Amino acid sequence: MSVVAATRGWAEPPPPPDAPAARPEQRQAELDEQTLVVRAQEGDARSFEVLARRHQAALYRVAVRVLGDPGEAEDALQEALLDAWRRIGAFRAESAFSTWMYRVVTNRCMGMLRNRRPVPVDRMDDAAAVADSPERTAELDAGMVALGQAVAGLRDELRVCWVLRELEGLGYTDIAHITGASEDAVRGRIHRARVQLAEVMRPWR
Amino acid sequence: MAMNAGSPAEGPDGPAPRLACGRDAALVWDRAAAGTPPDAHERDCPHCNAAFADARGLDAVVHRMASQDLEPPPSMMDRVMAAVRTELRPHDLLTLSSPHGPVRLSRPAAAAVLRHVVDRMDGLRARSCRIEQPTGADGRAPHAADVAITVTARFGVDLASVTARVRQMVIAAGEQALGVPVRRVDIDVVDLFGEGTT
Repeated sequence: MSVVAATRGWAEPPPPPDAPAARPEQRQAELDEQTLVVRAQEGDARSFEVLARRHQAALYRVAVRVLGDPGEAEDALQEALLDAWRRIGAFRAESAFSTWMYRVVTNRCMGMLRNRRPVPVDRMDDAAAVADSPERTAELDAGMVALGQAVAGLRDELRVCWVLRELEGLGYTDIAHITGASEDAVRGRIHRARVQLAEVMRPWR
Repeated sequence: MAMNAGSPAEGPDGPAPRLACGRDAALVWDRAAAGTPPDAHERDCPHCNAAFADARGLDAVVHRMASQDLEPPPSMMDRVMAAVRTELRPHDLLTLSSPHGPVRLSRPAAAAVLRHVVDRMDGLRARSCRIEQPTGADGRAPHAADVAITVTARFGVDLASVTARVRQMVIAAGEQALGVPVRRVDIDVVDLFGEGTT
């Protein structure tokens, strides 16, 4: 911790209660992230709530795209935020707090995916079948549906990396932190995901 | 798309492959998706051309997916916070003495009160606030507490005078709001912020 100024001292008797003119209450929602993190680490639930509300939309987007189901994503996010509260003391500020939160959420999503029953049909074939018929429905919406199915057809590790990169705009280094894979592996996964998606989506171009 | 995909050296989780022309396939794709115009090689190379076409073809629909508005239902955060509150650290307590026996006070709640006192001061925000009740030689927790507080200050405030005021206010709040005599207050100014920011 870099200390700008420090002052230590044994307490003098308390001063007369001539409190300085207080500004309007500084709302927690206006506090900087580092202050909120430290407060939450010291057990302040309200600071944790401000942090969680700041990040919940991005984390939910990732969970929806990774799991492919809004209901499951809500469950995953709820559990992940509780994980984050329990483990926030272990956050060491070596990465951004958002990166740490992404990590907690993607770990929870990957755990849920591992516990899923295997999907009996090849999801890639489903995605390709939908993408075969671009003329049938309004092309924009159907294109999105086709992409959604193609994304669901990606291998889990590929999908997580692709979502973080292409939908959340994160860099390779952050994604390596989040997934625990090497940066080279992350680049490889994202590329393989892109190629697979491009092939499935070719009829829509 | 023409590339050496699937060659044994790459493995299922290796780095991004090279195009048949030798270029790093991921780099070519990144450049295309970023809207970078193809360089001289890429304009003439069929492999790079195919990669550019794939990247740009996919990019439009990916952008639309990325800009879709997805929000969790508001009840989700309410459920999270209800669960968080049941997990507040129940044993993290300060001891207040009273004529009718000791009273316990949640340490995080006490810290929140002291931080609030600092937040109300012009140009200051409390960050960390640690309250310790050192154990006396006889093994009993003494009544008085030591407070270590870190603050961030607006650039330009008189640090010597505001930290003196922080000390006074923390002592007063300890005594009056919490009922905990404060023996010692250590204050670290750990950061400065500019006007209009926190």
